[in-house]
Amino acid sequence: MNPTASQASIVSITNVTKDYTLGKVVVPALRGVDLEVHAGEFISIAGPSGSGKTTLLNLIGCVDTATGGVVRVAGQDTKQLTERQLTNLRLNTIGFIFQSFNLVQVLSVFQNVEFPLLLQRKLDKAQRRERVMQLLEQVGLASHAKHRPNELSGGQRQRVAVARALVTRPQLVLADEPTANLDSVTGQNIIDLMKELNQKEGTTFIFSTHDAKVMSHANAVVRLADGKFLDRISAAEASRVMAAGGH
Amino acid sequence: MLQLFLIAFRNLGTHRRRTLLLGGAIASVTALLVILMGLSTGMKESMLRSATTLSTGHVNVAGFYKVTAGQAAPVVTGYPAILEQIRKDVPELDFAVQRGRGWLKLVSETSSMQVGVGGIDIQSEPGLRQVLQLRAGTLDGLAEPDTVLLFEKQAKKLNVQVGESVTLAAQTLRGASNTVDARVVAIAADMGMLSDFGIFVPADTLRSLYQFKSDTAGALLLYLKDIQHVPAVQARLRQTLTAAGHTVMDHDPRAFFMKFETVNREAWTGQRLDITNWEDEISFITWTLTALNSLTGVLIFVLMVIIGVGIMNTLWIAIRERTREIGTLRAIGMQRTRVLLMFVFEAMLLGTLGTLAGASAGLVLCLAVNAMAVHVPEVVAVFIMSETLNLAVHPSSILGAMAFITACTTAISLIPSFLAARLKPVTAMHHIG
Ligand SMILES: Nc1ncnc2c1ncn2[C@@H]1O[C@H](COP(=O)(O)OP(=O)(O)OP(=O)(O)O)[C@@H](O)[C@H]1O
Ligand SMILES: [Mg+2]
Repeated sequence: MNPTASQASIVSITNVTKDYTLGKVVVPALRGVDLEVHAGEFISIAGPSGSGKTTLLNLIGCVDTATGGVVRVAGQDTKQLTERQLTNLRLNTIGFIFQSFNLVQVLSVFQNVEFPLLLQRKLDKAQRRERVMQLLEQVGLASHAKHRPNELSGGQRQRVAVARALVTRPQLVLADEPTANLDSVTGQNIIDLMKELNQKEGTTFIFSTHDAKVMSHANAVVRLADGKFLDRISAAEASRVMAAGGH
Repeated sequence: MLQLFLIAFRNLGTHRRRTLLLGGAIASVTALLVILMGLSTGMKESMLRSATTLSTGHVNVAGFYKVTAGQAAPVVTGYPAILEQIRKDVPELDFAVQRGRGWLKLVSETSSMQVGVGGIDIQSEPGLRQVLQLRAGTLDGLAEPDTVLLFEKQAKKLNVQVGESVTLAAQTLRGASNTVDARVVAIAADMGMLSDFGIFVPADTLRSLYQFKSDTAGALLLYLKDIQHVPAVQARLRQTLTAAGHTVMDHDPRAFFMKFETVNREAWTGQRLDITNWEDEISFITWTLTALNSLTGVLIFVLMVIIGVGIMNTLWIAIRERTREIGTLRAIGMQRTRVLLMFVFEAMLLGTLGTLAGASAGLVLCLAVNAMAVHVPEVVAVFIMSETLNLAVHPSSILGAMAFITACTTAISLIPSFLAARLKPVTAMHHIG
């Protein structure tokens, strides 16, 4: 592999396979995927249900381990890292936005967003406060800082999740169907927010979606089919394909 | 760290019903433990206090005198000199009393019975006043010669009242029969086994009954400032008394009245001293303590196991329910150890609050029982040597119980927490439940 290419790319995946074992049955979810994502990209992963989008994002996010192949995130081969190092990589380099928000119910909006900073232990209280409030301002929830997640709408919750994912200023943010549980207008807002942060801060985003409209905001769409890399096309091309009825 | 505490605290508040259930269970075990310990310790203490005032000091210097080889009397001759030496040798001494010892026949107009007898100088017996509960008469009556204190059961059997007389009949050292008529001046509440076989008369009455000289005592009962010093004092006295020319018998951990057979079989005559401690003198009743302790132990163990399993089950469910949350927290960068810490905090918090509530409840109950002076059935009274239930409340043992149960709760929670923290983040996140 070309070392300079891997320097420039924040995610570099080479011939990755992932098998799930269900009892005695082995389900191949990924069958040799290659993918390069460069810093600052805003990439969508598309593909029919069961094509391996979630699996791929999990591997990039270091919450799961590949069966074969090499997954490099921020220049590090994830296979070589200990559980502790992987956790630190997730904490410092990667931000997660989940389909079902996954906020800590017993903490307030402010505390949820602040949590990764507490885990990092890099900033003092005043700095944390400033950082969190600035982000909440950005996602339009500054006035809801003291609310509990269950007092918010779905869209508001996902905005909290976006703020939480971004609070550590990660190089890479992963979002698995971040808009799937939201109505189209709210979903649109979330994508706009992500796009804005991508352009302002240069944060790399990789998100999966079924929604052609959401896809259309991406720099590029990576299409998966049956656990394999199909192609990498522009957003415009993707909308055309989707409009034609093919995934 | 503070945030972990906050999460733990808020989680307990959010699942109020479960928290109450678990906390309640923990509180009940604690309360039960406090009460059972109080009961067991309380009984033990009543027993020891009664026993150590009625029939033994912490350390006793007693002995046997034999005119002929087979005729032992439980006496210490020339006791004032010995007492003086003891006072010099034992700085740990709180106070000492001398008692006469004997075995006699009590005869009234209608009945008679064999009893052990203690000869006392009532003015120098502060402990007796605290332990004996009088049903009739006064202890000060024993200051007059030829008087007697009986216990309720004996008075009933002999059918005598305060003011009436009984005859004390015994054999003197030289084998002659002798009697003394004594006026009943006090009748005390029964104190279990020790009172069943004992009465008290003035020391001089005892001496005249047995025709002992005035410098003769049955035993010198030594009460120490701290019971911990018993072995040291015992060992020291053995040395110093031997050095002073007395013959000290080998240590035999039995009550004095069980030693006659052995002593009578030995060939020596004259005076020998016997140094014993309170445990020796009441060894014939310590099995009840052992039984009591084992019973409480078994009871506590069974309860703990039952409730421990319940707590474990509920904690297990509680933690499984939060496996998704654990997955999320792990995904956003929380280390396994911190996840574990979070749950440990929660269990500790629950344990502390639960045990605090339980200990308070148990304490209040114990104090209430003590205040009400609950009477125990006679069978029980025989063993604990007290007519009322006394629950001991020692802060140290209550704190110990609290710490123990909190530790157990925390330890139990470690297993499911550990299992949950060990999961791959993605597996935990997709956990259903
Ligand atoms: N935990 C699992 N155990 C077993 N098989 C799994 C597991 N997760 C996914 N799979 C299988 O792996 C394949 C890829 O699943 P994946 O969830 O990555 O697809 P996806 O593209 O995210 O689908 P969707 O669009 O429905 O979310 C599927 O065949 C799925 O059945
Ligand atoms: Mg998926």
